[in-house]
Amino acid sequence: MKIVQEVIDVAGGKVYDIAPEGRLDAVTVPALETALQDQLGGGHVQIVLDLSGVTYLSSSGLRAMLHARRQAQAGGGDVLLSGMTPRVREIFEMIGFNSLFHVFDHVADAAAAFAKSAAA
Amino acid sequence: MAQEQHLTVPGRYECLAQISDFVIKAAREAGLSDDDIFHVEMAVDEACSNVIEHAYARVQGNIELACTVPEPGRLTVTIHDQGRPFDPEAVPLPPMGEDATLEMIQEGGLGLYFMRKLMDEVTFSFTPGDGNTLIMTKRRKNSQL
Repeated sequence: MKIVQEVIDVAGGKVYDIAPEGRLDAVTVPALETALQDQLGGGHVQIVLDLSGVTYLSSSGLRAMLHARRQAQAGGGDVLLSGMTPRVREIFEMIGFNSLFHVFDHVADAAAAFAKSAAA
Repeated sequence: MAQEQHLTVPGRYECLAQISDFVIKAAREAGLSDDDIFHVEMAVDEACSNVIEHAYARVQGNIELACTVPEPGRLTVTIHDQGRPFDPEAVPLPPMGEDATLEMIQEGGLGLYFMRKLMDEVTFSFTPGDGNTLIMTKRRKNSQL
């Protein structure tokens, strides 16, 4: 699985954009977990998970997101989501996960939310 | 006229793609919609991932799948393994819904919740000496069946 990562400078700090591509299932989720842990373990707790390239999402992917968000929040940050495809959005809404995460249309919108939060 | 197709693969993660291809083809032939086919693929993926992770955690074995089309627009998927017994009653369902909070959600049980949301019928059984059998049914949306 390809995972593209980028650091975005925003007012009040840095945002870490993690963009997995392809299927997020039991086979590929460990790679995402590693990418998330690399950032969270280094104290980088402002994370945007860009799902625009994700074509399939299993419960193992949702577990990884839950775990990462809890960890980020414990460190004073958050994991925000962006760019869901209609398929992934349908899954989120079907199981009620849309009420558990903040979801943005674009990475820039999520990064701006971190900046706004820092300014508040 | 009932049609039945079978697939037996080792209970390993690298076989999940082959399993997906098998059920997608069967679901398409059953006349399900693209959305329905996606839901079947997801439910079977969750079920087989659970078998590999839990039933075959300590032993190796096969996953046997059978897809039946009892009538157009209806697909029944049977998944059989000979691993550790699975008791769905022992798995707490996540308290999902509008009032759910991040703190309330346990990370376990999501796969089972998925399967029940995605499929019309989900039935588990365990027979000593034979193993676990999961039967899931999906009906085409807007179908009168």
